[in-house]
Amino acid sequence: MKTFFKIAMLSTALLSIGAAQAAEDVVWWDFLSGGDGVRMKALIEQFNTEHAGEITIQPTTLEWGTPFYTKVQTSAAIGEGPDVMTYHLSRVPLGVASGALAPISAEDLSSVGLSGDVFAPANWEAGQSEGAQYAVPFDIHSIILYYNKDKLAEAGLLDANGLPTGLDGAENFTAALEKLKAGSEYPLSLQTSGDGTPWRVFYSLFGQQDGTFLAEDGTFFPDESIPKAVKAVETMASWVEGGYAPALTEYEGSVALFTSGESALHLNGVWEVPTMADLAAKGELGFEWGAVAVPTFFDHPATWADSHGFAIPNNVGKEMTPEKKAAVLEVISWMNKNSLAWANAGHIPAYTPTRESEEFKTMQPNATYSVLADTAVFDPKSVLAGVASPVYDAVANYISPAMNGELGAQEAIDEMKADLQDQAD
Amino acid sequence: MLRNHSRETAVALLFVLPFVLIYGVLFLWPTVQMVLLSFTDAPLIGPGKWIGIENYVEMFDDRRFWTSVRNTAYFVALTVIPNTLIGLAIAMMVSRLKGWQQSIILAMFFLPYILPVSVVYRIWNWMFNLQFGIMQYPLTWIFGEATPVFRTQWMFMPAVAFVTIWWTCGFNILLFLSGLRSISTDIYEAAALDNASRWTIFRRITWPLIWPVTALVLTIQLILQLKIFDQVYLFVQGGRPDPSMVLVQYIYNQAFQKNEGGYAAAVSVALFVIVIVFSVLQFQFLRARGEK
Repeated sequence: MKTFFKIAMLSTALLSIGAAQAAEDVVWWDFLSGGDGVRMKALIEQFNTEHAGEITIQPTTLEWGTPFYTKVQTSAAIGEGPDVMTYHLSRVPLGVASGALAPISAEDLSSVGLSGDVFAPANWEAGQSEGAQYAVPFDIHSIILYYNKDKLAEAGLLDANGLPTGLDGAENFTAALEKLKAGSEYPLSLQTSGDGTPWRVFYSLFGQQDGTFLAEDGTFFPDESIPKAVKAVETMASWVEGGYAPALTEYEGSVALFTSGESALHLNGVWEVPTMADLAAKGELGFEWGAVAVPTFFDHPATWADSHGFAIPNNVGKEMTPEKKAAVLEVISWMNKNSLAWANAGHIPAYTPTRESEEFKTMQPNATYSVLADTAVFDPKSVLAGVASPVYDAVANYISPAMNGELGAQEAIDEMKADLQDQAD
Repeated sequence: MLRNHSRETAVALLFVLPFVLIYGVLFLWPTVQMVLLSFTDAPLIGPGKWIGIENYVEMFDDRRFWTSVRNTAYFVALTVIPNTLIGLAIAMMVSRLKGWQQSIILAMFFLPYILPVSVVYRIWNWMFNLQFGIMQYPLTWIFGEATPVFRTQWMFMPAVAFVTIWWTCGFNILLFLSGLRSISTDIYEAAALDNASRWTIFRRITWPLIWPVTALVLTIQLILQLKIFDQVYLFVQGGRPDPSMVLVQYIYNQAFQKNEGGYAAAVSVALFVIVIVFSVLQFQFLRARGEK
């Protein structure tokens, strides 16, 4: 027994010596898996190496979506949240309303060289609530159109530079699909069940007609925007009805249709770029692929976009020491200054100097679609909107069924409006 | 020997105290808090303003609340009695087996019960998978084409009920089997001597004598199925959540997704009342029938 106590005391003593020498630990939570996760882990490792003896990031990856945001909220409420975390900017309104986020002052940000000047204005503002900054953008991610070069070439849809042509305009797009139908059972693959892609495509098509999703006075789909929303849904439904896109297909299935070479076109987020790149590198794709910004179906270019950003949870009863805060700010700033590596995951860096760097401008396919950053439409600012929100649920309840012909487009929009309005009041 | 009553009471209290304390802290106190919370506009975390019965007024006007009530009732109807009857039928078959044969067959029926719900979901989602699922063979034969069962509105609840029965009936079989074993073989021998038919033996001997177990199984099932959440939540992933929303899912939805702690508490109180009323009513009814 005596020996046991001696060992116990000794190890405690050793531990405390260790702690005294240890660098500032930054507890980090994220929701990044797949290709995103691999690239973020590499960035964190690089950070830890460069800051050896000063700052150590201790990362934990949690389940994306509602589980992540619930855990953040509950743990922050009892002071057990992380020091820094990834956060969707679309989710900032709800985060602020539920008291999960701590504001980051302009002085703190400028101490590490961050301010609104080094980000795109719409992107920077997406991290704000009532004038205060709650999140610092890290990337802009959006949906893009992946294409199978071989199939497009066969159908004569590539221009002299090898880029897709003749896809702009809803009717031209359908005509192109018709041409591609000869070579594929489903020329266009996209997720047609649940939320996710249906929302992103809908919001893009809606944005291309300058539709208002949520008016200043709190009305969802104000009258003049209803026909635009209906038109967007009708266009999406016509792809399924015409047999160009598969019905009731889930996310993974839609990706598989494209990677297996069965579909010529694929609408999905930039985060699938690593999937294609890795498959192509291993020689398992079997065709040449490329990606461009979503075509302009209606009046002008516009694409749904969201941002991964960094936020500091409002840990109740656990005041952050100045040293810790300085370390966290260093993490946020370093990540942005090294975000070129993150662009490998398909994303567009939020940090303007990185986005305008020569290296990024030559990075493919990012450079081809990075124009969308200028025409991005971010999620509506509401506690009902954002990732895994009631708006996403409403898409699964109304827009996806309309895509599959279970509901009429007009009926879907009317019911979606009534449902969201009901939830808002 | 003279008894010291107050001393005995004190000792008795001492013995039940740990239970009373735990019960009070972990059950009574949270329940009272939940009821109080339902009269506020509290978010998920933290206190809220007292708003009286506003949450309840809103609830009675809430389309999605009533959808959840209807779906929960539908699910209860699809599972409680079928699950009990299937459990009894299988138990009666298993009870005819002897020794190791019985053990093996019983173990096979009981196996699904020890699986976590996530595994059950995985198994059946694959079985019903549109492209690869083995269940598509019979479904194609019946409907003439492959059928996305968990994406077809009218099939959703019956399919989830089917999976639930497959998953949970092992426990009912076990309860029924122990009930069947407690019926003395003398009674069956006497009946056989009187040349009673099998159906008569079941109706006149087995059914009345197994009734207390049946009542217990029905009550457990009722309470359990009123609280349905996991299976519906999992199987609806990637589909339309609203038309198949059940009560506990709605509570989760309001509390964790919409940050409406007070309103979620009000729906919880409603569910609490429904569970109490129905289980008490059912138990009384079943007991009355048993005593007849």
